[in-house]
Amino acid sequence: MSAPTDTNLLSERVKALPGGEFLMMCYSCGTCTSKCMIQPKLDPNYNPRRLIREAVFEMEAEAFADTTTWLCSACDLCYPACPQKIHISGVINAVKALAVEQGWKNPNPSAVVDIFTCVACGMCVEVCPYQAVSLVETKVAGRGLIPVATVDPGKCMACGMCSAACRSTSISLPTRHHDKEIIADLWAFLAEEAA
Amino acid sequence: MVDAARQPLIEVKTFTEVEKVEGFVGNFKVTLREKSKYVRADRCNGCGACTKACPIEVPNYFEMNLAPRKAAYVPMSQSVPLIYNIDMDACIHCYKCVEACGALEAIDFSMTDKIVEEEIGAIVVATGFSHFDPSVMSEYGYGRFPNVITSMEMERLNNSAGPTHGALVRPSDGKPPKNIAFINCVGSRDKRYNPSCSNFCCMYSIKNAILVKQMHPGTDVTIYYIDIRTPSKGYEEFYDRAREMGIKFVQGRPSEITEDSETHQLFITGEDITLGKVVEREFDMVMLNQAAIPQPDQNQMSSVLSVAQSPGGWFMEYHPKLRPMDSPTDGIFFAGACQGPKDIPASVAQGSAAAARASRILHSDEWHIEPTVAVVWPDRCVSAQDKSCGICSRACPYSAIDYTQGKAAEVITAKCHGCGACVGECPHDSITQLHYTDAEILAQIRTLLATEPEKKILALRCHWCSYGGADLAGTSHFEYSANERGIKVMCSARMDADFIYEAYRLGAGAVLFSGCHPQDCHYITGQVSGSKRANRLKTIFERMGMSPGRFRIEWISAAEGDKYARVINEMQATLDAIPPEALKEEIERLRPEMARKLTRLPNIPGVQQALDQTDEIIQLMTELHMEKV
Repeated sequence: MSAPTDTNLLSERVKALPGGEFLMMCYSCGTCTSKCMIQPKLDPNYNPRRLIREAVFEMEAEAFADTTTWLCSACDLCYPACPQKIHISGVINAVKALAVEQGWKNPNPSAVVDIFTCVACGMCVEVCPYQAVSLVETKVAGRGLIPVATVDPGKCMACGMCSAACRSTSISLPTRHHDKEIIADLWAFLAEEAA
Repeated sequence: MVDAARQPLIEVKTFTEVEKVEGFVGNFKVTLREKSKYVRADRCNGCGACTKACPIEVPNYFEMNLAPRKAAYVPMSQSVPLIYNIDMDACIHCYKCVEACGALEAIDFSMTDKIVEEEIGAIVVATGFSHFDPSVMSEYGYGRFPNVITSMEMERLNNSAGPTHGALVRPSDGKPPKNIAFINCVGSRDKRYNPSCSNFCCMYSIKNAILVKQMHPGTDVTIYYIDIRTPSKGYEEFYDRAREMGIKFVQGRPSEITEDSETHQLFITGEDITLGKVVEREFDMVMLNQAAIPQPDQNQMSSVLSVAQSPGGWFMEYHPKLRPMDSPTDGIFFAGACQGPKDIPASVAQGSAAAARASRILHSDEWHIEPTVAVVWPDRCVSAQDKSCGICSRACPYSAIDYTQGKAAEVITAKCHGCGACVGECPHDSITQLHYTDAEILAQIRTLLATEPEKKILALRCHWCSYGGADLAGTSHFEYSANERGIKVMCSARMDADFIYEAYRLGAGAVLFSGCHPQDCHYITGQVSGSKRANRLKTIFERMGMSPGRFRIEWISAAEGDKYARVINEMQATLDAIPPEALKEEIERLRPEMARKLTRLPNIPGVQQALDQTDEIIQLMTELHMEKV
């Protein structure tokens, strides 16, 4: 339009990223939120509709701190349901990318690599659905400068695919879902069953 | 309806299809197919004995297929005229109805469709609307879950003359529901199906909710909505009354309905926006308020009547604000939802307006039309020299040109709307448009490009859209380059290739070819002709080696003043980016090629004279200008 728009605005920056184009078309009907698996099952604070509102009203700090920004796994259950054809996970991803750009850290746990055992086979890079793992030349004590798997915490959704795929058990989730804990749980469960 | 049928001057023709509409305002010739009812209208007294005797039952469309009807039937008890009808698709030819009819002998199996031709002065189209089928939205389970019904089904269930005699029951078990949910905007305001708002559904669902509450006060009624729209007089008060009665309103569009397969109870999952929480609620029955959509045969009707359709498929009015009941074709008017979804008060108002408009035609011996009609020079028309052509006739959106090879093309003036598509298309310049003749427009181009043409941006604008856009840019104080020079024609279809060649021959810096967006064209398909020609010209200019951006095509609506200003400013920037010497060199290089395209121009009647006079005026202007300097 004729009046120049301020490209520094959060909404403008979101719109400029792929997936965020139709941000302003949201009329807040709530279909996305009620289609989402996370709010009723995991986190009552999670709300994609509210995140879109925050982006529309340039509430940058709120949007970046919003749990929705970091928990969306882009399953796209909401996308085909949206009557305004907004790619909601695209908007959320755009907000997340902007947050990471400004140094925000994912508050959720992300996969950790044991750099002493990693053989850089690249399986985790292949399986990661979020392109969060890459092989980076790293200086490892006793092993020299070698390529090892490196996790981008801004992209990692802690799904555990890498952990399941790793053949040297060098990559796993830090809390509760660590290989050791799962195996211990499994043994405990089997012992219970046996008794 | 009964009153209308009793009026001696009103003839009601039911079960009749319009096959063809010819002629023009005041003189339409309409071909009608009177479908055979297999019951003679002059003998049937509406006793209904045939229906009682008929052994065949088929789903009753009028009852939304919730009840059966016989093969010998009337659609509804209030049918006007009350003449029975035999559904030949269902009839087994047992002739029990003939026996039942007895001495009246009204049933006649040998009847066939009758084609009649009527002389009609004016036509009012009131073909109404249709309903969106919610079964395509799998998330709401219509068609799979018996207790999910549509608003029309609710209408019949709640009607004392309906299949249940007004008892509101669940289709799954016939028990009265304790709590009902209504879901609004099913298929409307939804870009996947119909992006527009269906206008009356908010009020309609509130009405149904109030009816349910009045008839069955114990019932719990919840309405799910995105926004409640109650803009007319008394509507908000009605909404208030619904809340007073205890009807619950939930803001939030439900994403899904699930069903308990044994009890057929329904569960609606939706975010309650005011709570900011996803809530699942249980209901006995759910009503979907479907979108209003154009009739399935609206396209067919549109070509029979030769009236355009707006985006979405509704009939297009002459002007959305000032002439909403007129079609772009003189003598054809719209009433009600065929022109766009509307509620009863709006339909009644439009119907009365359309009737008043139509009576103006019936009461006048003469009819005034726009003066900008097309006129053929018979001596120039190649068809008169027995050559095959007919381009004008094909270009005309109103089929107002009679073309027969061997005879000069003839414009039926009363049908002509003055878009100038024929004039723009005619390759022999044998047709002109009054008030927008080639001579007049060429004189304007010459005058506007008299001094320093290489700095000028010549903007050809259509009357309805881009001219309005330019006007709005002015009244809104959107600044744009002062080097712009505008010329108005009625439609982009009139923007002759000659005008653009002439502008470049005179050394114009840039030319803008602008008109309506394709769906907004006031002359049905005028923009299409204009757009085709403009794109052809663009290719020609590219091949000639013209700098890109010196010829620009833009569709600008009357509401897009900002776009008009932006386009002109962008064109100015493009022009500024070309070094002046390079531009001059390019103009000089292309001038002979442009001139070659225009060799026939001086032969057009009036053109040479207009150009000579223009030259004199320019001479005088230049002298005055020099004196001032």
